Amino acid sequence: MILFLARRVLISLPVLLVIATITFFLLFLVPGGPFDREKKLPPEIEANINAKYHLDLPVWKQYLFYMSGLASGDLGPSYKYPGRSVNEILHDTFPVSMKLGLASFFVAISAGLAFGILAASFHGRWVDRAAMLLSSGGLSLPGFVLGSGLIFLFSIKLRLLPPALWEGWRYMVLPSLTLGLGAAAYIARLVRSSLLDISFHEFVRTARAKGLPESRVLLKHMLRNSISPVLTVSGPLLAGLVTGSFVVEYLFSIPGMGRYFITAVTNRDYPLIMGVTLVYAVVIVAANIIVDGLYAVVDPRVARR
Amino acid sequence: MFYFRENMLKTALISVLLFILLAPVHSGAASGEDCRFRFSLGTEPPTLDPSLATDGTSILVIENLMEGLTQFDQNLLPVPAVAKKWEVSKDGKTWLFYLREDVHWSDGKKVTADDFEYSWKRLLNPETASEYAYFLYDLENAEAYNQKKISGQESVGVKALSPFLLRVRLVKPVVYFPSLTAFSGTVPLRRDLIEKYGDHWTDPEKMVVNGPYRLKEWRHEYKLTLEKNRAYYGGEVLCGTVEAFIINERSTALTLYETGSLDMVFLTPEAIPSYRNDREYVNQPLLRGYYYGFNTRVPPFNDSRVRRAFSMAIDRSELPRILSGGEVPAKSWIPPGMFAHDPSIGLDFNPMEAARQLAEAGYPGGKRFPSVRLAFNTDAVNGLVAENIQAQIKRNLNITLSLDNMEWKVYLKKLQLDTPAVFRLSWGADYPDPDNFMNLFITGGGNNHTGWGNPRYDRLISEAAADPDPASRRSKYGEAQKILTETDAAIIPLFFSAQNLLVRRNVHGFIPNAMELFSFKTVWKGDQER
Amino acid sequence: MKHRSLYLSGIFLLALLFATAAGPSVSPYTFDQQDPSALLQPPSAAHWMGTDRLGRDLFTRVLAGGRLSISIGLFSAVTALVIGVLYGGAAGYGSDRTDQILMRGLDIVFALPDILLIILMMVVLGRGLLGIFLALTLVSWVTVARLVRGEVLRLKEYDFVAAAGALGAGDSAVFFRHILPNIVGPLIVTLSYRIPAAILAESTLSFIGLGLAPPAASWGILANEGWSGMRFYPYLIFFPSLFIFLTILSLNTLGDRLRDMFDPRGGPECWD
Repeated sequence: MILFLARRVLISLPVLLVIATITFFLLFLVPGGPFDREKKLPPEIEANINAKYHLDLPVWKQYLFYMSGLASGDLGPSYKYPGRSVNEILHDTFPVSMKLGLASFFVAISAGLAFGILAASFHGRWVDRAAMLLSSGGLSLPGFVLGSGLIFLFSIKLRLLPPALWEGWRYMVLPSLTLGLGAAAYIARLVRSSLLDISFHEFVRTARAKGLPESRVLLKHMLRNSISPVLTVSGPLLAGLVTGSFVVEYLFSIPGMGRYFITAVTNRDYPLIMGVTLVYAVVIVAANIIVDGLYAVVDPRVARR
Repeated sequence: MFYFRENMLKTALISVLLFILLAPVHSGAASGEDCRFRFSLGTEPPTLDPSLATDGTSILVIENLMEGLTQFDQNLLPVPAVAKKWEVSKDGKTWLFYLREDVHWSDGKKVTADDFEYSWKRLLNPETASEYAYFLYDLENAEAYNQKKISGQESVGVKALSPFLLRVRLVKPVVYFPSLTAFSGTVPLRRDLIEKYGDHWTDPEKMVVNGPYRLKEWRHEYKLTLEKNRAYYGGEVLCGTVEAFIINERSTALTLYETGSLDMVFLTPEAIPSYRNDREYVNQPLLRGYYYGFNTRVPPFNDSRVRRAFSMAIDRSELPRILSGGEVPAKSWIPPGMFAHDPSIGLDFNPMEAARQLAEAGYPGGKRFPSVRLAFNTDAVNGLVAENIQAQIKRNLNITLSLDNMEWKVYLKKLQLDTPAVFRLSWGADYPDPDNFMNLFITGGGNNHTGWGNPRYDRLISEAAADPDPASRRSKYGEAQKILTETDAAIIPLFFSAQNLLVRRNVHGFIPNAMELFSFKTVWKGDQER
Repeated sequence: MKHRSLYLSGIFLLALLFATAAGPSVSPYTFDQQDPSALLQPPSAAHWMGTDRLGRDLFTRVLAGGRLSISIGLFSAVTALVIGVLYGGAAGYGSDRTDQILMRGLDIVFALPDILLIILMMVVLGRGLLGIFLALTLVSWVTVARLVRGEVLRLKEYDFVAAAGALGAGDSAVFFRHILPNIVGPLIVTLSYRIPAAILAESTLSFIGLGLAPPAASWGILANEGWSGMRFYPYLIFFPSLFIFLTILSLNTLGDRLRDMFDPRGGPECWD
């Protein structure tokens, strides 16, 4: 088991390395340097800046310099927030995105399970159709539309919840709903379809043949087996929520990594862009590994491969 | 029931994770010790260094962190702060400031006259490159030092005679000098810490202050947290924490106020009509002028005829209608409420004359006029005004201006380094005297981004500042205003601003004033409402 | 039941295409025509969707925006399709090594979220029509390539392919004349999913300010403009959002139905 996980981690390292390299050179291709906005810098100041950020070295040297920094966990200084390092900024903002991601994950799983089970239980009746209609809608609804709609209803009209900021649990409600409901639509479908698949499965028929009451059959046996597909997507789902939060963070002025990513892109703050990209990549890779691990626990055959 | 077992485990795990990771809940407000006063800043303060700050946002925060020799009272008159009293010599050129001996920095050290001397010289030091250096040009040798005409600082007219005695020597008498010493650029500074930390001395963990609050936390683009300074000589402030949230959208700030997350908010023009009769509404006319400046260094605005044409093509009375906040249309520069204000000065709306001037300058009917950008920093009001002016210019001169907007910090840099053809700025009084408004536009002034200069104008301003006779002073400022807004038309004044706020009824001690000073040390939140 | 949703989506899309193609020319206003006397008007007879802060007619702008957003979605999806077919075909049809090289590399980079990659590319390509078009295309083609490769690998084993080869047809001829026609179905399905994905990506990016910029008018830009005024003028954001939602929904529904038609094996999305 441990070996299995360790092997997965080792395989992932070169992947991250490749991603880092590609991103580095991609950013290097951008016309104009990061300090281009300040067109008329006096030569001494410009020389100082170039020396400070190693911009006067040839590309490959800058790359090596950056990579060696990475090896020791140093993501470099931010270009646009003088005096703050990328590590510092990520240290402050990553937990925020993580919390938002977890809260949204919670919403997605709960709502998804609820609707999926509901739809499957009343398969063919109006409840099922309604749930699937909602789900279709949810999958097609852009995040910013849902988010702005929720803000309009609950903040502006009803004045129940705050429209922005991140200062306590009340502030988490609308953002996690916005982020989570879209994923919930997807989960609902998944749960429903896997439940419907199983309903033709042998052992369920057997259970029914045994004469157990309908509700217990449905909920106990079917659920246990349909957890698996949900589990499979949990990892990527959580990773997706954490890394896809920037629209929500923008809408709700949440000081998370995504929002800083947007600002970094607008400001051409390359080290910060790189840092966030790398963190995202690590989160996705880690999520996949964890899911594989969990899956191996549920189904030990996997780990023995 | 059994079927919950699997779900339960999963749900439990997740809930535990959530519980561990969720931050402690911040409830909005309370009174006394737990008092949190929350308001919104429209933009991130570009800097908290008093020698470098030039904009209202930065200064708002700095004013609550630092105190200078004097401060303004409710009537905008200078009263003692760090200085307990002051004397001026008969010829009006030498001032002595006697400092209190019980003022401490937040790290325990005493505030001394040396700290003031260091700070003022730093403001003037050419290496600091402060845009406000000219503020202290009244000091002996200050201008020469700042312009690098002399090299040492010793001859500059400020000296700490003893730890608690500061002597200032001026080149000419300045009656309102104690108002100048209330300005944030003249607060004392700690040489040892600035030399040690360089650019980082304003970081929250390092910044040492002498004012009512200290900087506890600065989450960029999100909020600044100010916490009461226990070492403040005026005693501990009534409201222990001030949170300044950086909220770019004013309508979002308004909704936050309405849902209870803020205690004070600035109203957008659209919102004002709905709140006019509300008990929480506060309207305060300001000593603040809003104008469009021209970059007079390059065509087409190097030609005064073009500038005059633009000024005459604008019907300023349209502006109060779209802003609805009690703004006063302006064609002159000194605001109402200030000495030497004269609404008759300035170019009237005259589209035919404007077209004629434009044709004379070589662009009849707007033909062949180069494409120019009107730049402004992103803000609800700026956007509305810009779009209106754009439409008026198009209508009356047949010229299409393109609009360019950006974040305040970036905008300030752009003004310095790559001045746009037409740019928007506003100026709020640093002290309630016309000199503060007029000396903005002296040749080469740090806050004069137009590149325009006029020797006669400079002379008039300089003479007026020293002139003891009100009538003669008034006529000098009158002539100077005519040069600025009529003959040379270096700027287009548009209107004088007003402040429109909502303040919660349980907030007490908030005193609005015409100079937009936000002093939180008098604020407290109670259970009773106003 | 199935067919009802197909018809509804189809009708909506056709109507939309017609409206966006013809509408802006038929409307009495142009999309950038400002009317200072009619700023921020709510919907009325004169302005069916109201006017924005510059007095521009929102209905015309929504139609014009639709033109832009849909074209971007359509063209980037089609281009991605073409590139994906060629790349996937090469990978599936070529040797094992070619396949490995071509596909493994993709897997690594495209492990990152789509929207992230799009943004990174826009940093390099710059904001603007070309930038977003290229960025959307570059991210979309991978899905197509994977699909095509999979199908090619599968179809390669069939007899008719071997037969064609035996009769002297070259690799590319076999690919284009025999294999490709057999994967048209899945390709159409993919296309009808990629278009709404592209529209979604463009409108999201333009909304947060990283996509297109004014004075261009896409749905995302209109939504962004409406966002700041949402408190007092909710119709400004409501209408563009509604159109984005309905368009994406119709296209997705269309995709679902098409997939049911072409892939009768059913699967999880079979409704009943």
